[in-house]
Amino acid sequence: MKVTFCTDLDKSVVVTNCEKRGWVQVGPEDDWNIYWAGTLTCKSLFSVDSGYRMSDAQIINHFPNHYEISRKDLLVKNIKRYRRELEKEGNVIAEKGDSKYLHLDFIPVTFVLPADYNMFVEEYRKSPQSTWIMKPCGRSQGSGIFLINKLSKLKKWSRDTKHIFQPQLAKESYVISRYIDNPLLIGGKKFDMRLYVLVTSFRPLKAYQFKHGFCRFCTVKYDSSVAELDNMYVHLTNVSVQKHGGEYNSIHGGKLSVQNLRLHLESTRGKEVTEKLFDQISWLIIHSLKAVQPVIASDRHCFECYGYDIIIDNKLKPWLIEVNASPSLTSTTANDRILKYKLLDNIFSIIVPPSGFPDTRWNKIPTKEAMKDFELLIDEEIIQNEDPETSEKYGAKYSSMYRWR
Amino acid sequence: MEELKDKGMPHTSQKICDSIQKHPSYIGFIEEVQKLVSSSNVSVNNFNETLMKAMREKGIECHMKNNVFHWVASNKKYKMDSPIVDLAFFKRAQVQWDKRIHKSLNSMCSELGITLARARSSQDREELSEKWGELSNYDIDVSKYRPVYAPKDFLEVLLHLKSPNCKVYDIDPNWEFAHLPIKVKDLPELRQHYGELSRGEQILGTHTYGTLFEAERIQIGERVLAQHYAPVAQEYLKRGCPKNLRSEMWSLVLGADINMIQSEYYESLKNHTLYYDLMIDKLIIKDIQLTASNDDQYFVFEDVLYQVMLCFMRDGDILKHISSQPGYMQVILKGKQPTSENTMTFPPSGVIPFHGFTMYAAPICYLFQDPLKLYYVFRAFYLRYWHRLHRVCGHEQGIVSICLLFERLLQKFEPALWHHFREISISPIKVVFKWLMRAFSGHLPPEQVLQLWDLVLAYDSLEVIALLAVIIMIFRKDNLLQVTTLTNIESVLADISSINVIPLLQMALLK
Repeated sequence: MKVTFCTDLDKSVVVTNCEKRGWVQVGPEDDWNIYWAGTLTCKSLFSVDSGYRMSDAQIINHFPNHYEISRKDLLVKNIKRYRRELEKEGNVIAEKGDSKYLHLDFIPVTFVLPADYNMFVEEYRKSPQSTWIMKPCGRSQGSGIFLINKLSKLKKWSRDTKHIFQPQLAKESYVISRYIDNPLLIGGKKFDMRLYVLVTSFRPLKAYQFKHGFCRFCTVKYDSSVAELDNMYVHLTNVSVQKHGGEYNSIHGGKLSVQNLRLHLESTRGKEVTEKLFDQISWLIIHSLKAVQPVIASDRHCFECYGYDIIIDNKLKPWLIEVNASPSLTSTTANDRILKYKLLDNIFSIIVPPSGFPDTRWNKIPTKEAMKDFELLIDEEIIQNEDPETSEKYGAKYSSMYRWR
Repeated sequence: MEELKDKGMPHTSQKICDSIQKHPSYIGFIEEVQKLVSSSNVSVNNFNETLMKAMREKGIECHMKNNVFHWVASNKKYKMDSPIVDLAFFKRAQVQWDKRIHKSLNSMCSELGITLARARSSQDREELSEKWGELSNYDIDVSKYRPVYAPKDFLEVLLHLKSPNCKVYDIDPNWEFAHLPIKVKDLPELRQHYGELSRGEQILGTHTYGTLFEAERIQIGERVLAQHYAPVAQEYLKRGCPKNLRSEMWSLVLGADINMIQSEYYESLKNHTLYYDLMIDKLIIKDIQLTASNDDQYFVFEDVLYQVMLCFMRDGDILKHISSQPGYMQVILKGKQPTSENTMTFPPSGVIPFHGFTMYAAPICYLFQDPLKLYYVFRAFYLRYWHRLHRVCGHEQGIVSICLLFERLLQKFEPALWHHFREISISPIKVVFKWLMRAFSGHLPPEQVLQLWDLVLAYDSLEVIALLAVIIMIFRKDNLLQVTTLTNIESVLADISSINVIPLLQMALLK
């Protein structure tokens, strides 16, 4: 019997990877074992009307309500709720100092508009000098984003797009976040990081972080002055934005590998601070996942690969900007293709049990070899069992995960 | 040090004293000592002893020792084993080559209707000055410029070298370097030279050793840096350098400290760039565009490379410091009277970039945020090593010796592979020459290049570059033996990004 796969994305990286494993491509109506689907297909499969029931031998690449983490407004809501709950419990992780969370302050202050408008104004008044960034909740690739540095500008914008602040007519909600105006610059340019995280289960949480990733650079020197506020080539790192800039280079696509970023940081800033930065990044990924853990439908047929967008500020503190549930698998450069090919290969290696056949009854504990270039971030099942032998076997990474000081 | 002993220590010390006294930092040094003499730490009764003690405590003694060390390192002359051999033909070949390049520069100028050197217009100067930090936005069209020469052109020149002492009867004289009368090390000698590698000692850069070993190396490294004594730092590098200490360790070994004099000098080079428009500027800009700007490992450093390379191109000290003085022209600024102040040595540094020259500096960008520090480390590296890789010379560390070493090692240890290349009449050196000439920069990932260059500094030798090239070929032997065309051979060796330098070298040198 051969493993069958199905995909509605025309991505060679998916198909070649599956075929390399000897899997046979079938249509959505046929018996498939693995479905690499777009979020819409996934949504309709899981909807009640479809009446589709998956068998134990079927797995799919999205959780039914992944938008709890991938929608900008919902992510913020979930993280806020998560913090409040931990605080209520009196958990040390939610410890506060100077009215800020000491360990959970990893997203820029954010409000959902129009709902939280009054709260935003209150926060705005505390430091009227700061710049804020407006992003439409449901869009991606940098579209519809703009910066504001005056309340009047926001008011003007709301007048121009009147319906926005009349919730009954609202077509599009926005999030407004404090803009990280002191980003870490390399060669004078701003960048963000794209990291990949694979989740194979939310309850218990099982998550893996891909060792490779890249930094996306702006093509234009960073300039926080007001005059450049509307120049999106300075502020937005999205490839889809930068591509249209005159300076875009299609050979490297403005992408530097995370390993090379690390080399540069360790060489110029030191080992300790660099390690702390990368530890903090793993920390924020884990807690962003824990924040949505109670609300995500942890269907055992599902796994999902998230693209994490992170900005590092000039104090080497990482900030979570957003989480993408269907990170681009399109390759802009040769190295990109190698990376994405490896990503898919390593994902399949983790989600398929040693037997080689997808099986939802499997305990989803891959061997260390099967993890390849993924590193275990957290596996609550292993932690719960606290078997020292297994913890050794699966690497020490997670055992230090609850070290918050 | 052998050669120093020949003429006797007194002679050498006199030479060192003379040259240190001429050094621009000498005045500052004397002032320091004078201050010390007038302090209470030094007494008249026991003058010598107390002064020495005070100098030691103040770190002046260490500073002096470092100066001597750097002097010896950069004035090393190698003893040739066969004094009968006339090595002047190398020199003649370089003079010829220089002439050819200069001719080609001149003809490029007349083709493009430009001059080698002219004063910048004030408008241009302002624009350049304003965009100094982001020169990638400086509007200049270099699309018509071509690199003056590429590694393969230079290899052609080297393969045509003929020693007057040795008649070549080979039917295929341009295939190898075996006929050149230079002695190179064999494997036992290399093993002796690279003792730490051949003894299989723990070296950073091999994955088998955990964080504990790294922590130990960092601890020792910090002590080495605190001592600030260059020879110790050099010794330290032999067992690998942690990333976070590399920049300081390299600066120390190379004597690339920065003080007032250095930063003023750099500033003067910058000003020279702002005032004079040299044809060589466009060549180096072109080279950066062709290499670093298009490289996903170095594009972020594009702007800093422009600054550093433009300054480097007009650094007259380089011309003075290179022992086999490069050729240069005397050029009169365009539209000026032919007076001495309107005459310029061209190129001022004597350096004419080949395609890929920027790669000598690019990996160092990973180590420094400050262009000034980057500049001096790059310059010191160039003066000590890299200039030998793109000039014809018979030096033990020169490119010809490196090529010959590569050939001898390959022939001796993989005769089958050597024979295979003979059969298909492809010269193995042709395949690896670009690696050798660029010291692997741009071919290996940055961290691997830096580890390789650690070893260059540690053992004060470029031989490791030839050795690595041989090992990579041997490593890919099975694939190489299956292909018979140059294109296929090149594609077997095209991607060496997965190579781990230290373990490979260790494997080859292990007894």
